[in-house]
Amino acid sequence: MALAKRETRVERRDASAKEGSQAKRLPVISMVLLALTFAGMMISIWMVFIYAPTDAIEGDAQRIFYFHLPSAIIGMLAFAIVAVGGVVYLWKKDERWDWAARAAAEVGAVFLTFALITGSIWGRTTWGTWWTWDARLTTTLILWFIYIGYLMLRSYMGRSEAGARAGAVLAIIGLIDVPIIYESVNWWRTLHPQAVLPIGSSPQLPPEMLLTLLVAFVTFTLLFSLLLMQLYQLEKMQTLAQRLRASVEV
Amino acid sequence: MQGITYLVAAYAIVWAGLFAYLGVVMLRIRGVRTELAAVTELMREQQEKNT
Repeated sequence: MALAKRETRVERRDASAKEGSQAKRLPVISMVLLALTFAGMMISIWMVFIYAPTDAIEGDAQRIFYFHLPSAIIGMLAFAIVAVGGVVYLWKKDERWDWAARAAAEVGAVFLTFALITGSIWGRTTWGTWWTWDARLTTTLILWFIYIGYLMLRSYMGRSEAGARAGAVLAIIGLIDVPIIYESVNWWRTLHPQAVLPIGSSPQLPPEMLLTLLVAFVTFTLLFSLLLMQLYQLEKMQTLAQRLRASVEV
Repeated sequence: MQGITYLVAAYAIVWAGLFAYLGVVMLRIRGVRTELAAVTELMREQQEKNT
């Protein structure tokens, strides 16, 4: 009996040491990501405002594009992570996938909000209106509402298995909107310009503009990864706190 | 000239929003860490009482 107790204590100590080393390792990765994101942002700002040439037709307002496009792409791709997280959760019942899905939903909603705001400001300068019910804009707004619906549903249902299951189903259904957003400019006649980075063909941008866009995209991806990691940890800690609280209350 | 105003407005909104969101996330993480520490302490006290 005494031996069993001693072994349990050793196992517990090992487990906490493992958790501790993971907790120590994570801030290092976060710090590296933070430093890279900061450096990327500085380079992006320099490239956007100084290196990239001014557009002959739209003028300086066209520079909004360098933050608008990466925000929109990441906002859409984040929803794919939400859906993949949901599918794997339904398949394996591993809550870590649900944490990843929830974290991606929150960060994705933030990026898509930025895309809608910057797009609206850009639209005001080029189309003379803050908003129009154009196919690309409307389908993007639908995705934004799906994000908000997902976050509200998860918040309302709490950290339960039923909540995770409902969220996963909503994410899988909502994912249908992502390819529709991408193809909307090809399927319908819209005010929104065609894709500047079409899949399978060469980009329709001058090299300086393309390079600026790529740097901004890499920077936004780093920022997204940093935020995703922080929110994943937050989800993990919140679940742990809820369980501990429940065990203390019992 | 008007284009620059819109450009600056767009970037200012993104930057302000981003920093505000980062601040909120950091506060949430700090809040959960404090809660975790408090609950862990409570659990330890409870375990000591039981033993």
